[in-house]
Amino acid sequence: MKHSVNRPPTPDAAEDQGKEPTLQEIINIKLIESGEKERLMELLRERLIDCGWKDEMKALCRAHVKKKGRNNVTVDDLVHLITPKGRAYFGHSKVVGNQ
Amino acid sequence: MCARNSIYTNPKPFKHLADYKLRHGFNTYDSIRNCLKTTPNGRTRVAKHTTKIPRCSFCDRYQGRLYFCLMCSSLWCPSHILLHTQSEKGHEVAIDMDRSELYCCLCCDQVYDPDFDKVVVCNQVKDLPGGSKSKTNSFEASGERSSKRKRLDSGIGLDLKKSELLVSMRDRRAKSCYPLGLRGLNNLGSTCFMNSVLQALLHAPPLRNYFLNDRHNSVQCRKRSGEKLCLLCDIDAISSAMFCGDRTPYTPAHFLYRMDHALLMHSSNLASYEEQDAHEFFISVLDGIHEKESKIRNSGKDDGDCQCIAHRAFSGLLRSDVTCISCGFTSTTYDPCVDISLNMDTSNLSSSNANKPIKPDEKTSVSTLSGCLNLFTRAERLGSDQKLHCQNCQELRDSSKQLSIRRLPLVLCLHIKRVEHSLVRKISRKINQYMQFPFSLDMTPYLSSSIVRSKFGNRIFTFEYDNSNSSAAYEIFAVIAHSGMLESGHYVTYLRLKNQWYKCDDAWISEVDEGIVRASQCYMLFYVQKLLYNKANEDSSFVRISPRRDPFESTAGCS
Repeated sequence: MKHSVNRPPTPDAAEDQGKEPTLQEIINIKLIESGEKERLMELLRERLIDCGWKDEMKALCRAHVKKKGRNNVTVDDLVHLITPKGRAYFGHSKVVGNQ
Repeated sequence: MCARNSIYTNPKPFKHLADYKLRHGFNTYDSIRNCLKTTPNGRTRVAKHTTKIPRCSFCDRYQGRLYFCLMCSSLWCPSHILLHTQSEKGHEVAIDMDRSELYCCLCCDQVYDPDFDKVVVCNQVKDLPGGSKSKTNSFEASGERSSKRKRLDSGIGLDLKKSELLVSMRDRRAKSCYPLGLRGLNNLGSTCFMNSVLQALLHAPPLRNYFLNDRHNSVQCRKRSGEKLCLLCDIDAISSAMFCGDRTPYTPAHFLYRMDHALLMHSSNLASYEEQDAHEFFISVLDGIHEKESKIRNSGKDDGDCQCIAHRAFSGLLRSDVTCISCGFTSTTYDPCVDISLNMDTSNLSSSNANKPIKPDEKTSVSTLSGCLNLFTRAERLGSDQKLHCQNCQELRDSSKQLSIRRLPLVLCLHIKRVEHSLVRKISRKINQYMQFPFSLDMTPYLSSSIVRSKFGNRIFTFEYDNSNSSAAYEIFAVIAHSGMLESGHYVTYLRLKNQWYKCDDAWISEVDEGIVRASQCYMLFYVQKLLYNKANEDSSFVRISPRRDPFESTAGCS
């Protein structure tokens, strides 16, 4: 892996030297390492389908693509469009933590 | 490996990717092959380091989307991948790690490449347990497909054109009459269930043509069985009566008694003033036709290959995939079917979710046919009390099951299950919930080819049995609607003839607006393949010639 000389410095790296990982981070890391995170994600996906969340998001995307034209929409556009709506779906005004 | 299908080919060749491939060829694709990891649920992820958690090279983030640069294997989150592209020339293409999908940093958009998808799909197929078996499932020999294709064309005897020898063409529209074939059926005592099914069956293009083509000849039948008529003779008689031009309501007495006799073993007495279920009756009629045919031909063929008119018209093939949650091993079975019973998609509609805010553009508030079909083909996790034995793990495991349609029938009958059984209260309740349904139906998303393909993620790759023919397009021709309660209700049939809807309410036939049909409470929906529908609609009205009747006999006036 070749490092480019123009690679920008990692801003947080220096600060993180003395910073302890938060409890949340530790839990998250442990979940990923053990493979449980993957199982939880799969369960979450199933639940989101069951309650109609996925269909709702799909409909939103379709409407947007219809409006803008198929060739004028990128994946990033759609993500930025539905992320706030997806989070708001369950009534929480502020979501802390994971994306 | 497979022929390219135009539906799944990227319409315009993607410039950045083309440049990239010119420069680097397939080396990079081959190298990431080793990094691909398939999870039991069928997703393919890029997992290079099994010990370290993947993090963005800039901000150390490990959650959400991460991209894996194809050139240097560095990892980036969506916010910072542009930095990488700007600083390193030629590092434009990356892979979404969770989904194994290509991303172009210059376009900030997902891109598709059949060669890349080929690598991913092949890897996935290889990785899943029962690798060689699932290979045959996904990549079935195209030979099988072409022989079954013939069923999709109008077979012998189903083509109305051939009936020209037996019919004379006469335009009866001058008197602004209803089209021929429309005739009321007298109710013989709560027999609306029978009348409604008869109306739908007799106007199903393959069956209508079958009887009009005199494919079942009563004279020959009588000779063969010694002066006794059969169920098909009865239906043939009703068909003649419907299409003869006489508009006075007809009494299908023989048919009722025949079916009653046939069903005696099932301990239900039809001619007894009791209500019956139209769907059950429909199945019994098809069974009766099949039994009769298989006696004639003396064949023990199973439903899939049966050539009786009931199966030729209605028989399709369902595919069931049962997947082990732990290891991903999938076992696939095929079952023939003459109709599809759908549960209503009411789970999205209940207000049980207290946290959900009320939205003005609530889309999930109406039950729709596509919602029901989606529910039917959705992967369903079986309960822990339904553990199945996994061949790979060699023990009982939690599994998930998914249905799809391997082969569509000529006539698609969809039965909407409107009965809810409450185990707690031990009562059955009718679901009166309105369900929206289309007049033109595209069944492509529910085909096995579509469902199986979706298990591999968002791919351009062409599977060998992707059907590009238009036989997934259907047009509705009959609706059996129910009104009332479980124990006492009423069935009517709406028929669509030459784009005009008619209501068949026992003896009363009337023209109705399509709005009425759309608003009705549908119980059974009958769709026919679009090609057959168009053919059926283009010919002018006709009279069936039978040796017993004088074709020039004056007919009763229209009501």
